[in-house]
Amino acid sequence: MNALELIDVSKRFGATSALDGVNLSVGEREFVVVLGPTGAGKTTLLRTIAGLEAPDRGQVRLFGADCTHASPAARDVALVFQNFSLYPGKTVRENLAFPLLAPGRQLAAREVDERIQWAAQLLRIERLLDRSARKLSGGEMQRVAIGRAIVRRPRLFLMDEPLTNLDAKLREELRVELRELARRLETPVVWVTHDSAEALSMADRIVALFAGRVVQVASPRELYLRPSTPAVARQLGSPPMNLIEVRRAGAAWRLPNGDEFGAAGVEAPSEALLGFRPEHVRLDGGASEAVVEVVEHLGPQRVVVLRWGGAIVHATAPTSIDIAVHQRVKPSVPPERCIVWPRS
Amino acid sequence: MSSSAPRARSLAWALVGPTLALLIAFNVFPLLYNIASSFTNAELIGGEWRSVGGANYARVFEDELFAGALRRTALFVVCAVTLELLLGFALALSLHRGLPGKQVVLTILLVPMMLSPAVMGLYWNLVLNGNYGVVNQGLTALGFDPPQWLTDRDLKFWSILLIDVWMWTPFMMLIALAGLNAIPPSIYEAAQIDRARPWKVFTRITLPMCTPVLGLAVLFRATDALKQFDLVMAVTGPNDAATQTLSTLLYQVVFRDGSVGLGAAFSCVILVLVIALATVFTRYIDRLQSKDVTA
Repeated sequence: MNALELIDVSKRFGATSALDGVNLSVGEREFVVVLGPTGAGKTTLLRTIAGLEAPDRGQVRLFGADCTHASPAARDVALVFQNFSLYPGKTVRENLAFPLLAPGRQLAAREVDERIQWAAQLLRIERLLDRSARKLSGGEMQRVAIGRAIVRRPRLFLMDEPLTNLDAKLREELRVELRELARRLETPVVWVTHDSAEALSMADRIVALFAGRVVQVASPRELYLRPSTPAVARQLGSPPMNLIEVRRAGAAWRLPNGDEFGAAGVEAPSEALLGFRPEHVRLDGGASEAVVEVVEHLGPQRVVVLRWGGAIVHATAPTSIDIAVHQRVKPSVPPERCIVWPRS
Repeated sequence: MSSSAPRARSLAWALVGPTLALLIAFNVFPLLYNIASSFTNAELIGGEWRSVGGANYARVFEDELFAGALRRTALFVVCAVTLELLLGFALALSLHRGLPGKQVVLTILLVPMMLSPAVMGLYWNLVLNGNYGVVNQGLTALGFDPPQWLTDRDLKFWSILLIDVWMWTPFMMLIALAGLNAIPPSIYEAAQIDRARPWKVFTRITLPMCTPVLGLAVLFRATDALKQFDLVMAVTGPNDAATQTLSTLLYQVVFRDGSVGLGAAFSCVILVLVIALATVFTRYIDRLQSKDVTA
């Protein structure tokens, strides 16, 4: 049984369409990341799943039951907000206890204490328990917000860009921790983000959402290597996939200025957008010349920006290779590494 | 460097000077003059000033009028502010939920607050008039024996109180509304997902997050109610013992009886009371705000 199923869900706000026929399923222990740019409808999607928004059309099913019009309380899902939304003026302990004191739970005081201890230990916030929620740092607040979600042992976690407001170092730390936590709790997660590194490193499956539509659903590896549209390609990876406009002349692709790029299949369209990853660009073996414009050092590797036949191309190069600005190279890309999107 | 320091200082004095002079002329000097005259037998018209020692203060504490006005003022402050707070907060809560035509309702509700208390007093004089007032005509038509709102000894104080509540409830509502609007909606959504009951949401989130701003509103209203003068003047006049507040009593002593010395002693006692009260209040509000500033 799937933990979550969205069937043809649509939602409009006035003239703008936030969700447009979204279909999505999440397995019982699956970690699904919804990836999309700002304004793609990611937060609306989560809020619809949580019951804070009602869809105009379509169905929301949780563990097999139709929950489209159920109240948030009835769904037994936990939502972690991007801005944390802790109850201000209360201690961390009180914040964690809040969802446990809901009507119908009837937990004994000891059980409440145990759960708070358990969550605090898991998130390493035990020493903060009696501190006011106002006196916490961003990372601490986020841990408390997540703690408030896990003490309830909900059936499904919904996370709305939970790491966006944190600094880079903390973000990477929590990424690993939370992935591990979700695995240990054996609870499915729908995680929303615009950060491709987050999506690639955490997800079992990634759902690419653009302008309210699901554009591609795939494993991180598949999505990285075979994005279905140029928009998905642009969203993933740093530096992102190269996208250049080419024209076919016989069995070769020609760059905007007419220089040869490489071999094209016979069935290839006459005009196309070529996508290829920077790490698949070799700096030799090509048919035409390119000029190195920028060399960026990123520790384990370097990013080389090339001006090649009127297009800008990013390539990565190991630090062992000598390369300098203004140097001329003859780059090449193996044809099997190129994705071809026909242009009309 | 050596010449710039004195120059900066004289500039500072030039900037502060006029304000300081005004303050001394209109605040400090009258205060000292008032304290000095409270120990004399000064009269409004004629007579030579002579020191009477603490005699005026002795009279203040023995005066039944003063004790009555003090009691009445305290009652007025407590009742008016409490009613205004409760009604204003209730109105704000219902408006905050997003009533249809909210803007119109809001505007209408704000009208009483924008009119002058003196005008309000005259207006209510007409409305509540025992013979031809709208209220009593209505009550008579319905077959009731209408009360004498403004002349009945036991009733007129409460009539004035109700007018004050009518005037200032919108003020409380406005401030409460601002407090409610400052609460981030996502906190309510978090509570919704956490399955909190409405009552718990109210007591654990809405109320504590509104308390600092409501405390401030109570302070404003309490200081205003404490010096209640214009409404009483307009409705029953300053000499009515049944509605006399501290301010109108002071007015009576100085301007009707002409006893400047006694009046000065009165006002000194009131000043001490007000300072004591204000200190307690501001302490309380300081504590509220340091504990609970909106995140």
